[in-house]
Amino acid sequence: MNVAVSRAGRRWLWLVFWLLTLFLYAPLVILLIFSFNDRELVSFPWEGFTLHWYQTFLDNPEILTALRVSVVVATLTAVVTTILAIPASIALVRRRFFGKGLVSGVMLAPLVIPLVVLGTALLILFNTIGIPFSPLTIAIGHIVIALPFAILTLVPRLERIPAALEEASRDLGAGWSTTFRQITFPLMLPAIFSAFLLSFVISFDEVVIASFVAGDEVTFPVYLYSQLRLPRQLPQVIAVAVVVLTISAIVVTISEVLRRMTDKSLEETTRVHDEEEVSVA
Amino acid sequence: MSDPGVAISIQRVRKSFGDVRAVDGISLDIAEGEFLTLLGPSGCGKTTTMRLIAGFEEPDEGTILLRGTDVVGVPPNKREVNMCFQHYALFPHMAVERNIEYGLKLKKVPKGDRQRIVAEMLEIVGLAGMQQRKPGQLSGGQQQRVALARALVNQPAALLLDEPLGALDVKLRKHMQLELKRIQHELRTTFVYVTHDQDEALSMSDRIAVMNQGVIEQLGTPREVYEQPATPFVADFVGVLNAMDVRVDEVAGEDLVMRVSDRDRIVVPVGPLGTEASVGSSLLVAVRPERVELSIGDGAAGNGSRLSGTVGQVVYLGTLTQFHVDTAIGERLIVHHLSDDLSSMVNRGDEVVLTWARTDAAVLSS
Amino acid sequence: MATDTASAASVETSEPSPRRRRGSGRWRVTSGLLATPTIWLVVFFVVPVVLVGVYSVGLLTLLRNDDYLSLEHWRFFLTSDTYLALFWKSVRMSLGVSITSVLLAYPVAYLLALIAGSKKYTLLLVIIVPFLTSYLLRVLAWRVILNPQGVLQSFLRSIDVLGPEQQIDWLFNSTFAIYLVLSYVWVPFVALPIFVSLENLDQHLLEASSDLGASRLRTFWTVTLPLSMPGVVAGFIFVFIPTIGEYVTPQLVGGPGGFMFGSAIQSAFTAGLDWQFGSAMAMFLIFAVAVLLIVFGRFLNVRSVTE
Repeated sequence: MNVAVSRAGRRWLWLVFWLLTLFLYAPLVILLIFSFNDRELVSFPWEGFTLHWYQTFLDNPEILTALRVSVVVATLTAVVTTILAIPASIALVRRRFFGKGLVSGVMLAPLVIPLVVLGTALLILFNTIGIPFSPLTIAIGHIVIALPFAILTLVPRLERIPAALEEASRDLGAGWSTTFRQITFPLMLPAIFSAFLLSFVISFDEVVIASFVAGDEVTFPVYLYSQLRLPRQLPQVIAVAVVVLTISAIVVTISEVLRRMTDKSLEETTRVHDEEEVSVA
Repeated sequence: MSDPGVAISIQRVRKSFGDVRAVDGISLDIAEGEFLTLLGPSGCGKTTTMRLIAGFEEPDEGTILLRGTDVVGVPPNKREVNMCFQHYALFPHMAVERNIEYGLKLKKVPKGDRQRIVAEMLEIVGLAGMQQRKPGQLSGGQQQRVALARALVNQPAALLLDEPLGALDVKLRKHMQLELKRIQHELRTTFVYVTHDQDEALSMSDRIAVMNQGVIEQLGTPREVYEQPATPFVADFVGVLNAMDVRVDEVAGEDLVMRVSDRDRIVVPVGPLGTEASVGSSLLVAVRPERVELSIGDGAAGNGSRLSGTVGQVVYLGTLTQFHVDTAIGERLIVHHLSDDLSSMVNRGDEVVLTWARTDAAVLSS
Repeated sequence: MATDTASAASVETSEPSPRRRRGSGRWRVTSGLLATPTIWLVVFFVVPVVLVGVYSVGLLTLLRNDDYLSLEHWRFFLTSDTYLALFWKSVRMSLGVSITSVLLAYPVAYLLALIAGSKKYTLLLVIIVPFLTSYLLRVLAWRVILNPQGVLQSFLRSIDVLGPEQQIDWLFNSTFAIYLVLSYVWVPFVALPIFVSLENLDQHLLEASSDLGASRLRTFWTVTLPLSMPGVVAGFIFVFIPTIGEYVTPQLVGGPGGFMFGSAIQSAFTAGLDWQFGSAMAMFLIFAVAVLLIVFGRFLNVRSVTE
């Protein structure tokens, strides 16, 4: 007997699960289907299959520029965030130090601040110290919000790597940097990869901060936001949307699957074997 | 300044973590080639002591000398000791060979030499030809051997072993105890061994330091620690303890005597207590369960101790049978007796007589 | 003990070199690791937030008509019915969306954590993936579906459920649309912490409870639900906080009624060019969030976000 649920209850729960899944995916699928509809208005009736909207967006310089800016900002964000998150997570997991609670509080605080407030705050900061808005200022803001996510991706992985491995390396004569290069970094790599992708996706998707501190070059979400309010080129925009959605969904799924797989394999190889000695082949 | 025969010298070392005094003033000299065990319950400071030697912790006070050199403040990678970790800490992403040659590579030993040394060491630990295996493909015992090889190739001044057999099952553990002893004998390396298992400590060590609450309670050979425990803690921790509060009724020549009844008495040699013990003083006296003779009917005490009592519980342990006997002095004593005809006859509730020789009793404190 | 430390101190002076190194190297490593990320967050997060407060009371002026040292913007905001009403409207929206998301996510998290068995991580991923795709594009999808000329209503017209000129008003540019779309956006994110808290729950507790004679429903109310509360609270807060400052979605699917507290802040910086007033409102929002975190913070396990 399953104590969590009765047989009928189980059926209901599965029904809820599949309905929710349908609810989550249906809008995305509809967007996908109608991006191929040969009609100015995104609606019924179905006028026939076309790739026209995909072709026109490739010819639209505004969209392409915005996408390029977004890729630059997201790449910069992902690189810097990862570089900052690695030492931060190592310190939080491996080191004893005074004020750890405060430090980890500051590191994770961007998780709990409404973006409109952070956008406001950065706008005032950059105006106070006189930094002109540009893709760089957008990236600065995105690094702030991506950092806690990156740290929270790295911390569980680090906790799964026994500290004794690093101690063993030190004990065998390696200094801090050799130990990091030979032991910690290779074992953290899958999580570093996840943290990088997650930071990239967060930045690529972010619209509020980007619209507060954007200069003349806007990112794709900011462009999209402005287009949605004045829906002239909607079918084209939807075509881009489908491409971006598909790519990000694939990337995110791969990184998640990878992370879980490598976590499992790390657990297996560091597990202490209890069974009898296996025969020497 | 220092004796050349001393590999490690720990002098008045203290270490606290917050309010917890993990190591509370330890001094200990470990000789070259010695197999020394730090024995004690969890939290007694034995692992901290080892980590202080390895350099993973720094003492709050005191000095640690490695072959005569003060190493306080020297990071672990610059210390001439190597460690065998509790769960082996093999690098999971490196094959056996790369694990073992890790230290040699850092010392810039040429590749050809490295391969030769690794092969020799694998031979010694009984894993010849396993260079290319990954740690995950090895059994626990094999991982243990790789960890040992990885530390020993560096020819450390001392090898520190932190409960190295704790994760193995009983049978394999017995086997690895003998293997460790053989390897230590073969290489003549100083071993500092941490364990909470008194059987392991007794069977392998040259000397044992029994630790409790951050201090060394007794330092001595296995026989000394077992047979002449210095404190109640040692007596209790190393084997099973029978402790009795004894009030001295009479000093008879070399013996202190407590009269329990007209036939029952407890006899303890004056020994080291010398003139301190006198009529009326109180002693804590211990006797090992296997030193107590159990008999039905009249037990002849000779010049030793005799106590009558009632069997409260019988526990069959295989070769031995354990009797819990409620004695005339009000204490329950544990007696180990070979599982023979006599022990199968004695049941719960039977009246029995316990006797032991005068020299088998040890005075723990007065 | 006092004499011990005294003797240690005297040892220290007589034998300075190794003592000096004791611990200082370790601290150097730790501070080296922490320096850049901490400085980054102090400069680009802590300082800016403090600046908002400083600026809102005129300790700092940026625009030509900014007031110097004035509580006027705070006074105006705190006595204004319009802006406080907007704040409470945002609070109501956040509450509604958070509660809806938790109610939708809980049964699914329960199913995955306690019943689905070995395929639970795969199915969890199925739920999570939409969350990790573009936020704005998911809102766009709903706009395309719900608007009067959109997919849903044009479909209903094409099958004659709706007349050619008829439209369903409550579907678009409505409070319903805001709640629907925001709940849609956040449900996967809420499922995550609830899943984690349910998965960490020792299932033997459920068996023990039923062994002691409790019905399933009673076990749920007395064991499962209380023990999964940290996950529920975490999910709730992680929806509530971003939603209370939300202005993008309400504007895109809420029509004129979608003007929220966040919209007021945003427009103070764009349309209104009244930055100090916007800063006062932003600061007020931070206080509100701080109060929320002080009340519920101890239930919060932020780590559940990525596990």
